[in-house]
Amino acid sequence: MTAAPMNTQIDTPAEASRPLTFRERHASQIRQWRLYAHMFRKSFSSMLGLTLVVLFLLLAAFGPLIVPYPEAASGAINMSAKLQPPSSTYWFGTDEMGADIFSRVIIGARTSLWIGVVITGLAAIVGITLGIIAGYRGGWVRAVIMRFTELFLAVPGLALALAIVAALGPGITNCVLALAIVWWPGYVRLVEAKTLSIKEELFIESARSIGAKTPWILWHHILPNCMSPIIVKMSMDMGMAILSAASLGFIGLGAQPPSPEWGSMISVARTYMPDWWWYSLFPGAAIFLTVLGFNLLGDGLRDILDPRSRDR
Amino acid sequence: MLTFAFRKLLTLVGTMIGIAALTFFITNVAPGDPARLVAGPNATEDMVATIRTEYGLDKSLPEQFIVYMGDLVRGDLGTSIVTTRPVLEEVMRYAPATLELVFVAMFLGIVIGVPLGMLSAVYKDGPLDQVTRIFSISGVAIPAFWFGILLQLLFSVDLEWLPVSGRLPLVTRPPEFVTGLLLVDSLIAGNFSTFWTSLQHIILPAIVLSFPCLASILRVNRAEMIEVLQSDYIVAARAHGISSFRIVALYALKNAMLPTLAMIGLRFGWMLGSTVLVETVFDWPGIGLYAVSSALSSDFKPVVGVTLMIGFFFIVANTLVDLAYAWIDPRLRKA
Amino acid sequence: MFGKIIRNIAIAGLLASSVLATPAAAFERTDKGNVIVFGGRQAIPVLDPHIRYDWSTRMMQQAVYDGLVKYEGDPAEIKPWLAEKWETSEDGKTWTFHLVKNAKFHNGDPVNAEAVRYSFERGLKLNKGVAWMLKDFLAPEGISVVDDYTVKFELKGPYTPFLSFLPWWYIVNPAQVKANEVDGDYGQKWLTDNEAGSGPFKLGRWEPNVLYEAEAVADYWKGWPQGEANRPAGVIFKIIREPAAQKAALQRGEVDIVEGLTPDDYVQIARAKGIAIEDHKGMTTFGIKFNTQQGPTADINLRKAIAYAMDYDALIQVYNGAASLETSPIPDAMRGHIDVPGIPRKDLAKAKEYLAKSGYPNGGITLPYVHVAGLEEARRIGLVLLDSLKPLNINVEIKPEQWPNMVALGSKVETSPAMTSVYTTPVSTDPDAVAYQYHKNSWGQYFAMMFYDNPKVTEMVDKARSSSNWDERAKLYADIQTQIVADQPEVFGMLQNRRWARRDYLQGFQFSPVRFTGEVDLYPLWVKAE
Repeated sequence: MTAAPMNTQIDTPAEASRPLTFRERHASQIRQWRLYAHMFRKSFSSMLGLTLVVLFLLLAAFGPLIVPYPEAASGAINMSAKLQPPSSTYWFGTDEMGADIFSRVIIGARTSLWIGVVITGLAAIVGITLGIIAGYRGGWVRAVIMRFTELFLAVPGLALALAIVAALGPGITNCVLALAIVWWPGYVRLVEAKTLSIKEELFIESARSIGAKTPWILWHHILPNCMSPIIVKMSMDMGMAILSAASLGFIGLGAQPPSPEWGSMISVARTYMPDWWWYSLFPGAAIFLTVLGFNLLGDGLRDILDPRSRDR
Repeated sequence: MLTFAFRKLLTLVGTMIGIAALTFFITNVAPGDPARLVAGPNATEDMVATIRTEYGLDKSLPEQFIVYMGDLVRGDLGTSIVTTRPVLEEVMRYAPATLELVFVAMFLGIVIGVPLGMLSAVYKDGPLDQVTRIFSISGVAIPAFWFGILLQLLFSVDLEWLPVSGRLPLVTRPPEFVTGLLLVDSLIAGNFSTFWTSLQHIILPAIVLSFPCLASILRVNRAEMIEVLQSDYIVAARAHGISSFRIVALYALKNAMLPTLAMIGLRFGWMLGSTVLVETVFDWPGIGLYAVSSALSSDFKPVVGVTLMIGFFFIVANTLVDLAYAWIDPRLRKA
Repeated sequence: MFGKIIRNIAIAGLLASSVLATPAAAFERTDKGNVIVFGGRQAIPVLDPHIRYDWSTRMMQQAVYDGLVKYEGDPAEIKPWLAEKWETSEDGKTWTFHLVKNAKFHNGDPVNAEAVRYSFERGLKLNKGVAWMLKDFLAPEGISVVDDYTVKFELKGPYTPFLSFLPWWYIVNPAQVKANEVDGDYGQKWLTDNEAGSGPFKLGRWEPNVLYEAEAVADYWKGWPQGEANRPAGVIFKIIREPAAQKAALQRGEVDIVEGLTPDDYVQIARAKGIAIEDHKGMTTFGIKFNTQQGPTADINLRKAIAYAMDYDALIQVYNGAASLETSPIPDAMRGHIDVPGIPRKDLAKAKEYLAKSGYPNGGITLPYVHVAGLEEARRIGLVLLDSLKPLNINVEIKPEQWPNMVALGSKVETSPAMTSVYTTPVSTDPDAVAYQYHKNSWGQYFAMMFYDNPKVTEMVDKARSSSNWDERAKLYADIQTQIVADQPEVFGMLQNRRWARRDYLQGFQFSPVRFTGEVDLYPLWVKAE
């Protein structure tokens, strides 16, 4: 079984006269979380992941404030300084329009964060809703939802996303939309399986018997108990969504210039190989480290929140 | 068992029809006008109309879909408007290149993934396990297109050990067609220099493609090994004084192999889909490159065709895995 | 079979240990002679000369087929080819061509008047590819065989540019085509990757999307300009999609000539030993076409403001200097071109003046700039435009579109974007090829996305194309150019140079501006042995 259900109240002996402090009321959860934190800290790879993710989030939040040439991300050009190698003025060199690659890579973190959050968010909202409905209702509702889900799961995601973007036309919004369309089925399958197993549990039965309404049960019992695998999956998916969007950008279907998106940068930079190697090196490294960070974090979270499902 | 297999087969057919409908409608919402593209610049309106009629593009979308499904039943994937050739014929021509790449990548993934998974299971939570973990997650996290470029930069441009792209140098004539897999055909023809050059060409793209698959093989193998190593009969075997190496290499590995094989089956279909990027970087003339270049010129019949083919292999691989499991474990047949 | 495979693997392993990446040979030497290797980005999906004619396709068509006449040289001139001479009637409606008597198709059949008639009929009836060039003036019935080596064309009306299109109408062998006809398709299926021509080359290996080989015809009826001893054994057109890979292949000597390097690559590779750059002024014009009928750009003052704000120097810098600014809608290499006085150059004061007169005196608008996805230079020009319009407080939204989508958008006034980047290569050297783009009849075509409507210009274009007096035409074209510039239906950009990088032993390269970007006449090429 996974971690203890988070909603269970702790029976404390007498002393009804004094209201319980927060610490006392949540003593068991606090103990649980302390254990998690300890396990997490002990793992080098989890800490590495956390560091990378925090760094990424900081850059996404404050990037435009700290970079030397913030205008590089909004299309300022400086043809006299084009394709300069890395130097103290331009840490990562400049691109074919003379824009500072360092500034563009840093500001690109915000684009990537946006991409990751929107894709994962949309996919999770759609997927979780359908998954819970399918798992809880059962019958033909479940059959329809699951058939439809399997249909999407049977088509390789990237190929389908490629077809969608090619049809809709290039651009970051279309990319995000296409990836969200191919991303939600994973959540349905996960949540449906989890819901199926939870709804047979005793505490659901008892909640129903005392007259709890279905939405209330779903929201207060089923969803919280699905949360651990969902959190793990979302953390992993943040990385993979950023990677997939970058892949579409690389094929040439990504962000519109001058918006700094790592995949699109590499797509252009590729034609400047090998003599202007810095152009593709740094955006690629940024993608790699970001995705690595989210995956290591997700992996670490899975170890402590959901140890049984690891490696499945 | 037979009814189970039959039910699986029925699902397979249903899913294929579903995929066809899905991709057909998704790709056809496009505002693009492929007829105008192939009619060429300067073409007059009636010239474009000629082509539209020829390819049935003047019909309504549902009508086009009915025609498409009718053709599909007869094994016809339609005609590419850009190359004017049947899509099936073209997919067949490009498929061997992709399959060859996937096979070699799969081979690399198994040869490296299984032993590494075994080792990190034996030395669980040790430094080796930690390094392997970061390595395997890196394999999933690294952008294939960027990794490919880096390898090209290092091995082809800098060291000049390996060719930059393609399947064969143009001076080399491909060996006589038997399987379409150059590595196999060249051996059948006894042409070693061709075998050697095609090996040089395939190695970099195969490494790039193998990385994510290697990672998942490694992790499944590790997890299963850990479980098996903790099981009663292994503990008993140890108690009987059988050497550690024999336990790991023979008993445990054998038992951990089934889930690993299942993962390999699943990964096979997945790899077919993800060759798109690798083929683009390495100019590998396979179905991925075919799909991308078709998509970029709004030529959607090939895109639907390739998606169907990949989906087909994907489902077949999944079905085989399911059947294999069901055969071994009868309890699963009810699922 | 498996025993054989296993044995062979063992031997291969032994061999493998001894060889490691042999250095590449220069041009390819076969027992028949040298084979020249051309590295290009674009495949040849359909070879049929009456169906398609993009640059790579036409390069191979020109290699295996002959036309009645052929474009050669810079400036491009029409040379007699299958037709040794021709005459025009007084009224300019009847054209009679006399064919050479020694021309032979690759299968030995003579190239006669019937073959010419059949080929033109085929082109017109299929109504694809090249058909638009002649269909308005020539019906299949208008072509007649006078005798075995004389063929007559009767046009529906006088059409001066007629001859300038004929180099692109290749002659096919009717006997071979008819033998391979399926369901009355005029042999379309067969000619997709076969040929029935009389050109200097015939087809060798044909591996779609990988490489296409043309083998030299030993006794080509017109002979070889480089001499029988020097002529190559063939040419291989190898698909290399990435500029970086093209560059590497050229440097290693795996290919002898490439077409698709980036502007920066050309500058850099020019310094490499053994490599020469072909750099020629082309006829491909670049314009940022405005939608002159709808939206903000229907306002001529806004169009002028944008034209005066544009950083023209940066256009040249995008090409690293290998381009020249347009001085008229008609390219320099074309007859009738004039330098239009007062064509806009960057002048911010003037730009602001025009902006003040426009409906948007303070800017504050966002205009889309659509370019073909993947066209690197067009994207970079978009960035230049974006930067140029910032002082006017006009924002530019750069939108890459797939080519078919862009063409579809540009076919209607309602959907045509405010600004679209368009490269146009005229198909003939006659000024009509450009002037007609500004005729109202061209609406719906990608190069007419501005939906330019000036009845005066339309009238002059009509008059000029039916006149056979050059002086009168020259005067009309001068007026047309001046008027178009005054109306500013587009930002007149630059003419990019056509560039190739080749090994220095490759001889006989002949540039002709009327060929498409990338397209090379393969016929005169040869390899000078060290």
